[in-house]
Amino acid sequence: MRNRLALVAATSLALALAACSSDVKDGGDDPASGAAAPEGPWSFTDGSGEVVELDDAPTRIIAHSAEAAALMSYGIKPVGIYGDESVATDPNLQGLDLTGIEILGEEWGVIDVKLASTLSPDLIVADWWPAEKAHSGMEEGVKAESKKIADLAPVVGATQGGSILNLAEGYEELARSLGADVENSQGAEDKAAFEKAREEFSEVVEGKDLTALAVSPATDLLYAANPEYAPELLDFEKWGLDVVEPDAPDAGFPYWENLSWENADKYQPDVLLLDSRTFDEALKTAKSQPTWNSIRAAKAGQVVEWPAFWLHTYGHYATALGKLTADLSDLDDTIGD
Amino acid sequence: MTAAPAAPVAPPRARPTTRLVAGLIALGLLLIALTFASVALGARDIGLRDVADAFVHFNSGATDDTVAVQVRVPRTLLGLLVGAALGLSGAILQGLTRNPLADPGIMGINAGATLGVVAAITLLGLSGIGLLIWFGFAGAVVATVLVYAVGSLGRDGATPVKMALAGACVTAGLLAISTGLLLGDIDAINQLRFWQVGSLAGRYAPIVEGIAPFLAVGILGGLLCGRPLNALALGEDAARGLGLSIGKARVGLLAVVAVLCGAACAACGPIVFVGLVVPHVARFICGPDYRWILPYTVVLGPLMLLGSDVLGRLLDGSGELQVGVVLGIIGAPFFILLVRFSKLTEL
Repeated sequence: MRNRLALVAATSLALALAACSSDVKDGGDDPASGAAAPEGPWSFTDGSGEVVELDDAPTRIIAHSAEAAALMSYGIKPVGIYGDESVATDPNLQGLDLTGIEILGEEWGVIDVKLASTLSPDLIVADWWPAEKAHSGMEEGVKAESKKIADLAPVVGATQGGSILNLAEGYEELARSLGADVENSQGAEDKAAFEKAREEFSEVVEGKDLTALAVSPATDLLYAANPEYAPELLDFEKWGLDVVEPDAPDAGFPYWENLSWENADKYQPDVLLLDSRTFDEALKTAKSQPTWNSIRAAKAGQVVEWPAFWLHTYGHYATALGKLTADLSDLDDTIGD
Repeated sequence: MTAAPAAPVAPPRARPTTRLVAGLIALGLLLIALTFASVALGARDIGLRDVADAFVHFNSGATDDTVAVQVRVPRTLLGLLVGAALGLSGAILQGLTRNPLADPGIMGINAGATLGVVAAITLLGLSGIGLLIWFGFAGAVVATVLVYAVGSLGRDGATPVKMALAGACVTAGLLAISTGLLLGDIDAINQLRFWQVGSLAGRYAPIVEGIAPFLAVGILGGLLCGRPLNALALGEDAARGLGLSIGKARVGLLAVVAVLCGAACAACGPIVFVGLVVPHVARFICGPDYRWILPYTVVLGPLMLLGSDVLGRLLDGSGELQVGVVLGIIGAPFFILLVRFSKLTEL
């Protein structure tokens, strides 16, 4: 009798499971992505070094916003996106057609996992942060509920660090593995534009002797960026711009050196870089400080936009680099030390 | 509940007036020395001679001169005024509510200032400290009126117990609204951060000039509160017997507190411990007579606030620690020692 019951239970469980999986199949027959998924087993090496292997190439993808923008430039449209800010203001998503894509979060650390599960995703795409050993949206400090998105499907992403190109190249490779026609995509055009922008950038900065310092001015302190933790600054350095490295970054949060406004003139670069996302606000804060003008570059108005911490795609990088090159080209390189 | 029983009046330990005057003068001299130190010392190394020179021949092109005159002088003035305001208002609040733990934090004043600043950032989209402090000030004054209104409902008017409860309720309610407005608004949280931690940095001449008149008038008014506070300390019946109009006295005292705390909190953020600890130190020195306690708090408050600020500037290499952080670190153990080794005077 007991065995009988167990059998019934097992059977109904199996039926239920079958029903579930057929639901997933139904969803899977109508992939939102535009690319033709390649047949057969699929594998990709995540930024963490872990190799993710699946029986079929995934087609129903949920992606963090910047990563989604990268995939979409290769014609791969995710079924869901979660971002760190409102879709309306996220610089990564400007000008993209988001129709048919479910928005699962518009605030750092908050993902609607319940809604995500109804999309039956088979892959989550998010950057890997080596310092925090976590993917974007699943780091320390996010809502506990948000981390459960990793239970819905395997998570892969390119690794943050060294260079923005790691990210751009990583998502190009991921798109190719997912069946995108990389060579004939917007992404390929963007890449060509980027290569051109990079050459022009190198030409301009190598023709000058510019030193640059990236800063974030606050009411009580001036934060000087440590390029070691800002991949785009490392890129600029690689391509010929001399970026100042602060000599005493904060021990607990080494992204910045904290300068008292009394010591604002500790570094004297030719040009100051201010985060492009908050440029006007930051400049206003800085200008209210009596010692802002003790930085000769500030006094001379040599302050330009810094595309900080958000770039992921060749397209965005090409645009940002073009603007930076134009900004830098008419600056005086004899102002700083 | 009927009026609180008159506290047993300890026979006032007579402290010779000359000693109290001498003490006040000694602390005053110490404060003058600290004021000079506050202009001379900071995250930036400037020689004493250069600091003095900056005042004699100011050169706007020299960073040392800019730092000494345009950065440190307003910061020092603000530290003096806000320190005095916090110490004085703490003493008045403790006397008014007859609660040894009363400080701007529990009377809804900081919460009101916070809500004013938060609402200006989130609802009106304003930014810049020069503008935000006025919303903080308005919020603090409105909150104080609200606390008094809630506290005076029902029989007996605004008794100390009802005022303390009303303060706690209004604080909770206002903070809930602030938190609600801030939730999910990362930009607003970032903007609020500089203010909420409590700092004297980044406040320059325009802010000091704007807020100083309120603080100066408040401090003068506060110094005149000794007599009504002494009467209230005897209990309501005794105070009435001395010819004090309890209701009027409470409104007057609270108005002084609203101006002092509101302006201080608006300018520098909710600074902890000064308003709580300084009155106890003053009481420890001069006994229960508010006519002495109040002037002592005016000197002790800036000593504590400005002293902590100078310390914070020197501690952190080329950066600096906000005075709110320094006060939190040294204030808590100091208060514990004070409680442990001196019997806090019953209020």
